[in-house]
Amino acid sequence: MSIRSGADLKGQVRLLCDAVVVGTGAGGSIAARELARAGAKVIAVEEGALSTSADFNQREEQMLPLLFQDRGGRTTDDLAIRVLQGRGIGGSTVHNTNLCKRTPDAILELWHERYRVTGMRPSELAPAFERIERDLSVSEIPLAMRNRNNDILRIGTEALGWRGGQLKHNRVGCQGSGFCELGCVYNAKQNALKVVIPEAVLAGADVIADVRAVKILHDSSRVLGLYGEAIDREGRVVAEVTIDAPVVVLSASAVGSAALARASRIPDRYDLIGRRLRMHPGSVVAGRFKDEVCGDKGIPQSYECTEHLSFEEGSDKRVWITTAFAHPIGTASVLPGFGAKHMSMMRSYRHFSVLTAMLHDESMGEVYLAPDGRPALRYQMSRSDCLQLQKGLRACAELLFAAGAEEVVIPATPRVVVKSRRDLDSIDWSFGKPHSVPLTAVHPMGTMPLGDDPRSSVVNSRGEHHQVRGLFVADGSLFPTSIGGPPQISIYSFAQHLSPHIVERLRH
Amino acid sequence: MPLAMSRVSRRTVLRGLGVGLLALGGVATFIRTSGYDLPAHRRGKLRVLDAAQFTILTAIASCVCAADGSDAPSIEETDVVGFVDTFAVSMPGRMRRDLLLFLGVIEHVAPLFAKHATRFTLLPKASQDDVLSALEVHDNGLLRGGFAGLKALLFMGYYRDPKTWSLLNYDGPTIGRAVTP
Ligand SMILES: Cc1cc2nc3c(=O)[nH]c(=O)nc-3n(C[C@H](O)[C@H](O)[C@H](O)COP(=O)(O)OP(=O)(O)OC[C@H]3O[C@@H](n4cnc5c(N)ncnc54)[C@H](O)[C@@H]3O)c2cc1C
Ligand code: SF4
Repeated sequence: MSIRSGADLKGQVRLLCDAVVVGTGAGGSIAARELARAGAKVIAVEEGALSTSADFNQREEQMLPLLFQDRGGRTTDDLAIRVLQGRGIGGSTVHNTNLCKRTPDAILELWHERYRVTGMRPSELAPAFERIERDLSVSEIPLAMRNRNNDILRIGTEALGWRGGQLKHNRVGCQGSGFCELGCVYNAKQNALKVVIPEAVLAGADVIADVRAVKILHDSSRVLGLYGEAIDREGRVVAEVTIDAPVVVLSASAVGSAALARASRIPDRYDLIGRRLRMHPGSVVAGRFKDEVCGDKGIPQSYECTEHLSFEEGSDKRVWITTAFAHPIGTASVLPGFGAKHMSMMRSYRHFSVLTAMLHDESMGEVYLAPDGRPALRYQMSRSDCLQLQKGLRACAELLFAAGAEEVVIPATPRVVVKSRRDLDSIDWSFGKPHSVPLTAVHPMGTMPLGDDPRSSVVNSRGEHHQVRGLFVADGSLFPTSIGGPPQISIYSFAQHLSPHIVERLRH
Repeated sequence: MPLAMSRVSRRTVLRGLGVGLLALGGVATFIRTSGYDLPAHRRGKLRVLDAAQFTILTAIASCVCAADGSDAPSIEETDVVGFVDTFAVSMPGRMRRDLLLFLGVIEHVAPLFAKHATRFTLLPKASQDDVLSALEVHDNGLLRGGFAGLKALLFMGYYRDPKTWSLLNYDGPTIGRAVTP
């Protein structure tokens, strides 16, 4: 795969093309591929580096800073929620856990009815979903590859008579090493890095790593191009890059795209850019089992419990439960306390089964610019979402007991240890809120939503800005609401679905 | 370990206790940098931390990564503080600044939370534990979150070391060996 590095550029560089794509994750890779396949001269810039399976080494302390934004330290500005996002060719698809679900039909219908999104009802999107699922070899995770942590979730779900099921993924040749969140050494992930970007390059896209987009060039009514900085491995600016182009596609994620639009002063009459940030924040509950669980081995997530998840608007069932297991550093940072007591808990590492309750959130945060110009996030969890979180934590505890856990540890501060299912009734769950339980969000979305009403959307249903001709969005920013589940297939597919409109713009 | 604060969020936080304390701690760090000595093998070798910051972080790490048994390696054997010093080199600028500022808060301000008038590094270990426990449950979210971030960084320094993995029965990377289910 021939990808250039901005680190090799010097001085002032001026380039010319038909379309610039910013970011090379789920959305950007597809946009670059489809535009190149349509014969357009495309340049895709990516602020992170190109890292491949040869660079991944399954070491948390080295892969976190290499593959994640802010070296793995991104949080909301009140430090309550850790926000994990990718940085590098392939974006967040490089280190995600490969779960594949389509956007729920009910969500697409809601967007159609409430948010005036046209052309994206389930039947209209079906061809894009099918196409992406074929391209990424999406299949059901083989039952034989379900590890014990996931089997515990299945056992608990079935014992309680709750709704649940096996998940789908985009892996081929998976060895079950369990290191998905640190990049796949075995190159088994059928993601943007392995599949889509090489196809884009093959079709003629010029993909440049280590170039950070700084400003969209525009005159308030149309796009003129992009200004960026080429950076070396130490983050030093080595060149200034100006790209003249009539089309810019923002695919820098729901955080990066909104921050770039704000930094570029893109017209925003209704003050919508960066607002309505949703993230699926979630927390974890650990069950200690007599026998080893070894949650760090095998495919990390293969089963889900959807008993507490409904996509109806205003539903009080807004919790998606699946497994969550981390390697030692990730586990240590989530467990409460410190010192000898913390270490004693760590010794149960192999005996823990860990579940996560992720919120189909209604709370709306904001992406804004920090004084240093970098993206920053503000997110206050609403009371209703806090209640959902509490419900989710309790449901995880119930599942773990139903599957035979000897005790359940909720990593609140101070920690909550529960000895039996009966004891769950006597717990005051109000500790389930930001700053009291560790919260993580891996699905930022919704900061530049689409729809045909400019008062409630930033781009139209074709993905183009309502006012600035040639400015498109093709990433997680597009969602008008949370989707309540893993978003990658939605993002890849929306980019696939919207690409013909971008091509169309190039022709007219 | 980000303590990122925008102008607006700083304003929000100023309403509470947080930034006042952070600022105090920061100022105090600049004023009181005497009386901190680096071990000989560290002199001239640190990349981000100065002598005071190294001493404070070492004291915090001794509490956070304290062992529960003699089989656990020490923070010196795992070079936890040396790791953080190197890691901080490539941290985004504002995070690095916040990290260093927070060390000042722990040294000069946090002892007050546990009713100690002495700076953190001069307290006996048990009192240092009390101070960190008070910080961990402090009403102010920034202080709480800041400590959680610092803890995560120290645990990264500790549990990255293969010497700690046998405590957890963790096999480590699968590269170069058969993947066992
Ligand atoms: C740990 C983890 C596990 C996950 N697991 C799953 C899963 O199992 N299933 C699922 O569906 N989803 C999962 N996700 C989420 C999924 O990967 C993301 O939602 C999806 O990749 C987002 O696509 P995107 O195109 O919006 O952004 P990304 O894929 O994040 O790509 C954005 C790219 O833009 C680049 N960029 C940002 N700013 C700039 C700039 N100024 N200039 C140039 N480039 C820039 C970034 O470096 C990045 O490479 C997971 C995420 C994480 C973090
Ligand atoms: S579990 Fe499979 S996809 Fe994940 S890192 Fe291991 S081999 Fe790769």
